[in-house]
Amino acid sequence: MGRWALNGAAGLALGFILLPLIFVTWLAFFRQEIPSFPPEGYSLRWFAAIADERKFVDGFFLSLRLGVLATLIGLAVGVPAALCLARFRFPGRETLGSLLLLPLVVPGVVLGTSMYVFHVEAEHALDMDILGTFLALLAGHSIVVIPWVVRLVTASLAGFDRTVEEAAQNLGANPWVTFFRVTLPMIRPGIVAGALFGFVTSFGNLEMSLFLVGPGRTTLPIAILQYLEWRIDPTIAAVSVLQILLIGGAMLVTDRFVKISRVV
Amino acid sequence: MTLTTTARGNISALAAQRIATEERGGARLTAASLSAPATILVAIGLLIPLVILFRYSLNEFVAQRKMMVEAVTLANYVKFFTDPYYTNVLFRTLRVAITVTAICLVMGFPLAYVLARTQSRFKNLLIMLVVLPLFVGNAVRAAGWMTLFGSKGAINATLMGLGLISEPLEIMYTETAVIIGIAAVNLPFMVLSLQSVIEGIGRDVEEAAFSLGANPAAMFRRVLWPLALPGVLAGTILTFILGMNAYATPVLLGGPQFQMMGPLVYGQFAGVSNWPFGAAISFVLMTATLLLSVTANLIVQRRYRR
Repeated sequence: MGRWALNGAAGLALGFILLPLIFVTWLAFFRQEIPSFPPEGYSLRWFAAIADERKFVDGFFLSLRLGVLATLIGLAVGVPAALCLARFRFPGRETLGSLLLLPLVVPGVVLGTSMYVFHVEAEHALDMDILGTFLALLAGHSIVVIPWVVRLVTASLAGFDRTVEEAAQNLGANPWVTFFRVTLPMIRPGIVAGALFGFVTSFGNLEMSLFLVGPGRTTLPIAILQYLEWRIDPTIAAVSVLQILLIGGAMLVTDRFVKISRVV
Repeated sequence: MTLTTTARGNISALAAQRIATEERGGARLTAASLSAPATILVAIGLLIPLVILFRYSLNEFVAQRKMMVEAVTLANYVKFFTDPYYTNVLFRTLRVAITVTAICLVMGFPLAYVLARTQSRFKNLLIMLVVLPLFVGNAVRAAGWMTLFGSKGAINATLMGLGLISEPLEIMYTETAVIIGIAAVNLPFMVLSLQSVIEGIGRDVEEAAFSLGANPAAMFRRVLWPLALPGVLAGTILTFILGMNAYATPVLLGGPQFQMMGPLVYGQFAGVSNWPFGAAISFVLMTATLLLSVTANLIVQRRYRR
């Protein structure tokens, strides 16, 4: 009896989390354009209609480019920083750790406003285009990726047996070889998880990007938000379904390398 | 004889010390070069911008010319706290964030407990189902709620089909819609925070309580809850912060009339270009969020320290 009540309550919560995704998926297959229930019939034509909406196609490719590049930059600077935090004891280590997690703590809107005014000031000082450029947007996205990489790689370094590295060096490996042949394979789960979370954070980022996109440049989340402010119809639902499939696919692929349930 | 040994001992000790210092210096250099790129990127890309934003919040705004004038004034903060329109937005944001956090805690605990204790081979899949919505983005989830809440949406169509109501309920563009939307967005964070802590609590502790005659309610109150408290605290604070800073959900489910702090900041920047006031609201939002989180942390820690 108690067990049933517990499972029921858990199922209810899971249903509550999934409900909006189920309904937006349902809407994508409606035949009529108005989102009224029950549907008059079903159709696949809305998926074909996405190709005509330039904003979604351009937004998707911009978000994808940003996500991939920001993740690569985040890994390039975040993995060494995580090594430093896990390996060395030095004054100010705690402060450094907090600083690198700061982009996760500062609200998205505040990230956006502060970077916006910074770009304004930098433009004045350096006399060059910064505000609204792709590089400025990429810098912002790289910054929100860093905390995920640092956090998850540091966690995977916590249970690391350093004697293996020493053994490699005793056998004549130089520090680079040791890193790429010994350390890197052992912290791979942390890197894969950090890359997944970083990519998803960048790809889905809305609040910060709102302040940083220039005229005529839109990321996918911004395109979705602006469309929804105006109307809800099966076209936007079809876009949503594609996004759900993309993210779900990325999770399943990642899950083959490292169990998602172990890193979240 | 003894003297020379001590001297030699001293010298080798000195040499050892020098080598150690050099090694430590080398380690310090490695540590610095490893962490430097990330530190510089975050410091230049975020820390300096935050300082500039704070400086902007002390500037003046000339409304007639739509221009910012350099000054050192608290006028923007005074304006925020003396105008009931803005204080109402702050209180509404607090009310929504607190309600959402309470809902997430009540709904999240059973799910987190079941996920933590299940032996099912579908456990990984279940956790992925909790994480997936988290990754999909707030706007997409708001779109799902819009199909449910509309006047011809799924909820109204069902209720009218069953003959329970004759007029469609107004759910869209209400505080209820926003609270439901944000609660669903934040629930996965609460569940994951609780689940990781509950997994660390041994089953034997629960069984010990039962064998000593505790009923499930007493076991929960006296054993499980106190032990899970770090997770409860982490989840509550995370959910509260996310609720305070919500953007897409209030914009889409609350409509233009329903203002919360996040959209208010955006409006000041993008709508009326009042950067100093927008900067001040940003800092009010960040400070209110941090103050309440830290206070909650302190109160709970004090109460449960034995």
